[in-house]
Amino acid sequence: MTDGSAIWFYVIVAGALVTYVWRLFGVLLVSRIDPQGVVLTWVRAVATALVAALVARMLLTPSGLLAHTALPARLGAIAAGVLAWRIMGKRVEPGVAAAVLAFLLLQQIFP
Amino acid sequence: MNGPRPGDDVQAAPIPYDWAWLRKGMAAAFTLPGLVMAFSFMGFGALLHSEGLSLISGIAQDLIIWALPGQVVLVDALARGVPLLLAALAVTLTAVRLLPMVVLVLARSRMPGNPRWPEYLAAHFIAATVWVMSEMHFSGIPRSGRLPWLIGLGCMLATGMTLATSIGYALTGMMPLPLAATLVFFTPAFFLLALVDGARLEQDRIAIVLGAVIGPAVHAVWPSVDLLVGGLAGGTLAFFAGRFLRRPALDNPDAEDTP
Repeated sequence: MTDGSAIWFYVIVAGALVTYVWRLFGVLLVSRIDPQGVVLTWVRAVATALVAALVARMLLTPSGLLAHTALPARLGAIAAGVLAWRIMGKRVEPGVAAAVLAFLLLQQIFP
Repeated sequence: MNGPRPGDDVQAAPIPYDWAWLRKGMAAAFTLPGLVMAFSFMGFGALLHSEGLSLISGIAQDLIIWALPGQVVLVDALARGVPLLLAALAVTLTAVRLLPMVVLVLARSRMPGNPRWPEYLAAHFIAATVWVMSEMHFSGIPRSGRLPWLIGLGCMLATGMTLATSIGYALTGMMPLPLAATLVFFTPAFFLLALVDGARLEQDRIAIVLGAVIGPAVHAVWPSVDLLVGGLAGGTLAFFAGRFLRRPALDNPDAEDTP
């Protein structure tokens, strides 16, 4: 366990600085690339795939609280959310609401 | 002096940012994405408590790191007494994903010719949720108002998340597991639906599928780089597949954003 002033050193150096540096690169890069160009289209594909990978990790191999829930409950709830999004005029809010309600329900069925 | 002539664009005075949008950005924090985010940060507060770390160190992380996966990794490192260099390496690996998001958001919001400090400030607030929110809202915001809107949104979200962290810290252990797990479940549900909803190009849909397949496959072999490899490999494949399938009209998805 790290304690005392060492914690603050960690938070600033191993937390804030090493995180902002990538945002800084982003700011420096964006003024050098064509906002209509093909590079940005590629960046968009990478960011989309990356967030999809994050979602898949949270659903398939979660850590923390979700690790204590059943896989069929997680996948079933997501499917219910996408279905609700499709049926309710492709709006995000009803989709999320349906997914979360389905998850509460499915946790009772798959404890 | 002569008036501006065609071709004089470069010398023309830049259009300034419209700071009236700052307040609207603040208001946008009080929508579903803000709520989803608050549940995630309550989970972070609960984690701090269960790892025996102080609330104030977590609030400081909310304000100066502002990237939840990195914060979770840092808390884990602090709790296990991981050496500084290794902790920094693990956190920075989770933060690489912020680079493409900053580029995408700023490409649609920066006003070339103006001082750049609002870009450096806005960049601090850009992470997955704010990127997704910008995709949802930017088409309804004039370009000169977008960066102020982002900064207002970021300030309000950051303030709200320190509150959510505190609430989660205080509530730890008082909630039954199914309810607590459901709060956490808001995050993947929201991210997936926001991605699916925001998919405008064929490549977006392909990228969602490939990222969701490649990420977990890499996770099984080398967990710490699953997002990077899933993003780079899945995104690049989707990009080429999209170009192969694309019709010319879809070449410039952001053409309406020309300043």
